[in-house]
Amino acid sequence: MYFALTDEQRALAETVRALLADRFDLRAVRAVVDDERGDGHPADLWRAVGEQGWLSVCVPQEHGGLGLGLLDAQVIAREFGAGVVPGPWAATVLAGAAVRRDGSPEQAAAVLGPLGVGELVATVALRGPGGSFGPGGIAVRADAAGRLDGAASGVEYAHVADVIVVAATEPTPPGVDAGGGDAGGGVGLYLLERGGAGVRIERQAGIDGTTRLAALTLSGAPAARLPGSDAAALADLLGRGAVLAAADLVGVARAALTRTVAYDTERVQFGRPVGSFQALAHHLADLHVAVTMAEHAVLYAAHALDENRPDADLAVAVAKSKTNQAAGDATAAMVQYHGGIGYTWEHDTHFFYKRAKRLIAAFGDSRQHLEQVARLTVDTVS
Amino acid sequence: MDLSYPPQAEEFRAELRTWLAANIPAAWTVPGFWATVGEDEAFDLRRDWERRKALAGFAGIDWPVEYGGRGGTPAMRAIHDSELVRAHAPRSVNSLGLVFLAPTVMAVGTPRQKAEIIGPMLRNEVIWCQGFSEPGAGSDLAALRTHGVLDGDEYVVNGQKVWTTFAGRGDRIFTMVRTEPGSSRHRGLSLLLIDMDAAGVEVRPIRQMSGVSEFGEVFLTDVRVPASQCVGGIGNGWATAMLLLSFERGAAGISQYTAYRQAYDEIVRVARALGRDGDPVLRQELARRRVELECLHYQAMHVLTEVERGHDLGAASSVTKLQWSQAYQGLFETFDELLGADVALLRPTADLDLTALRQESFWTRSVTIWGGSSQVQRTIVAERVLGLPRGS
Repeated sequence: MYFALTDEQRALAETVRALLADRFDLRAVRAVVDDERGDGHPADLWRAVGEQGWLSVCVPQEHGGLGLGLLDAQVIAREFGAGVVPGPWAATVLAGAAVRRDGSPEQAAAVLGPLGVGELVATVALRGPGGSFGPGGIAVRADAAGRLDGAASGVEYAHVADVIVVAATEPTPPGVDAGGGDAGGGVGLYLLERGGAGVRIERQAGIDGTTRLAALTLSGAPAARLPGSDAAALADLLGRGAVLAAADLVGVARAALTRTVAYDTERVQFGRPVGSFQALAHHLADLHVAVTMAEHAVLYAAHALDENRPDADLAVAVAKSKTNQAAGDATAAMVQYHGGIGYTWEHDTHFFYKRAKRLIAAFGDSRQHLEQVARLTVDTVS
Repeated sequence: MDLSYPPQAEEFRAELRTWLAANIPAAWTVPGFWATVGEDEAFDLRRDWERRKALAGFAGIDWPVEYGGRGGTPAMRAIHDSELVRAHAPRSVNSLGLVFLAPTVMAVGTPRQKAEIIGPMLRNEVIWCQGFSEPGAGSDLAALRTHGVLDGDEYVVNGQKVWTTFAGRGDRIFTMVRTEPGSSRHRGLSLLLIDMDAAGVEVRPIRQMSGVSEFGEVFLTDVRVPASQCVGGIGNGWATAMLLLSFERGAAGISQYTAYRQAYDEIVRVARALGRDGDPVLRQELARRRVELECLHYQAMHVLTEVERGHDLGAASSVTKLQWSQAYQGLFETFDELLGADVALLRPTADLDLTALRQESFWTRSVTIWGGSSQVQRTIVAERVLGLPRGS
């Protein structure tokens, strides 16, 4: 039994933390957030991330990557969350995972090598305006020739992406009976290249300045189908996205808690450090328990996906719903227990609070994941 | 990450499973069976069964062989505990002795104490009670007032203990006594072993909110205790108590998860029987509880990892306690919720008997109190894990 990160994984976390402290601290984050017209994609950071090989964690070795698993990727995601780091790292890793799993050898060769070294920015477009994460939320249709029509919303860094993996509903292939259930056939993933015909990308105003979002409008845009993709591929991609979002969230949550403890140890009111008041101390203790459980849950879910464990679907839903709760509570407490200063733009609390807000809804909100837990644990009891 | 157990541990699991399959009567595996048996009869059945298990070699799993143990690993211990739950084996009647006293005696007992205490405990020939809490010393153990005065080579002990599990059925009690007259707080205490049938020991059962009486009060009036019946040294009781309480059931989380999963499934069956398992709000609530149970499982695997590597759990065991007690209690709050208007009934329909689940639901109110209340645990986490300044 070994339920913990390995020494190598711990060292990786340490390296990420050290690089961020050295080259991209909260002042750098603030500069990105405050530059509202900027693309939110700091080039020097991206170069450093590429040089460190952090984009190639999940890229297979034959394409020059490290060939590691989601468990290793979540180590990085957690540190990026803790540093509220801007940029399309998670989106790129996720798009790479889809190409690796479902792409043709040619697609894999064209995308994964450059992606691993930071030459390509990639992202995923999985839901339409107002839609949820899942097949029902897709608002892009593919025709038989692979042309895409429709819209996607809230796409991370689509405005700087070189390739976008787009989820689209597909017409029923000729000769296949659509049956009663899924009207209109299945789901496929498509590789859309930057600057193609029929693609319009517009930035969307958002609450989380550390991560920029854009909308996609597609009118007969030619795209290349990932030949291995289907509904299960979409589910897999959503699961991986949920784990990476959960890892980022748990990093946000731990950092929010640590920073709040530090502040409340120093801040004196009524002649005592406010952290010595039981009303705060006990709530912070509860948050420590919740964040610790969320950290475990993310580890387990990443491992379960890496190893194809039979309870992987449950593990993902557990991890996302638990991190949603822990991060929501920890970041709200961060604002509250900093007092008035925590409510200002000048203080860093809002970076954590807003990043958590975005991620809590990303790749399935709590309601969606809890219903999944119910499907897997209530409906299956005999 | 490696969530597998070593082959040797899996072989042990298979062997134990075979023994359990042959040695647990089918009737015991029916949910709610123990609620149908009288308390005295249940105690005897449990004691005798556990003795047979020990004689078959399935006790003291992670104890050294020299003490009659199996010399196994913490993982084997976790497997043992979990398989017992899975097979619906009765719970131990000697757990306070097995979990706390035995390892303490192994660590600091005299050779004679080791010989006299450990073997008979393992075979359930002596059932042990714990005498720490007092009416004025609950969470604040150092406030205890039971005192012993040396007379020749015996201590004359007077005082009152409370919340003593199996007080009416145990044979001996390990108890914290103030043996230095005029001492206060952590000084002048000793861990004394007292026969429950000694002159001057009187037991009064406490009826709990569930209606059963697992706990009792123990009144000590001029009880004569030989000075040789002290573990860890006269006057050294606080250190001995801290050592004793440090034998946290490191591997217990895995079996707790197994047990609470059974409760979860039972509760889901109730929801289904009442036609409420499709209610979207209740589904969310059940799922939320399940998430906490899964987290308990992860925490248990994490703790087992630490224990197997010989790491000291320290204040982190407070995290485990908060998680398991609140997850367990919360599960039964959802049980109440899903019963809706039927919450006050033990048999809401002709074929639905909730007696056992209801008893368990009352029991869960106690788990956030004993063994360090949630409030005490939060203070420990705040000060010793998070490093927040101490409250005044």
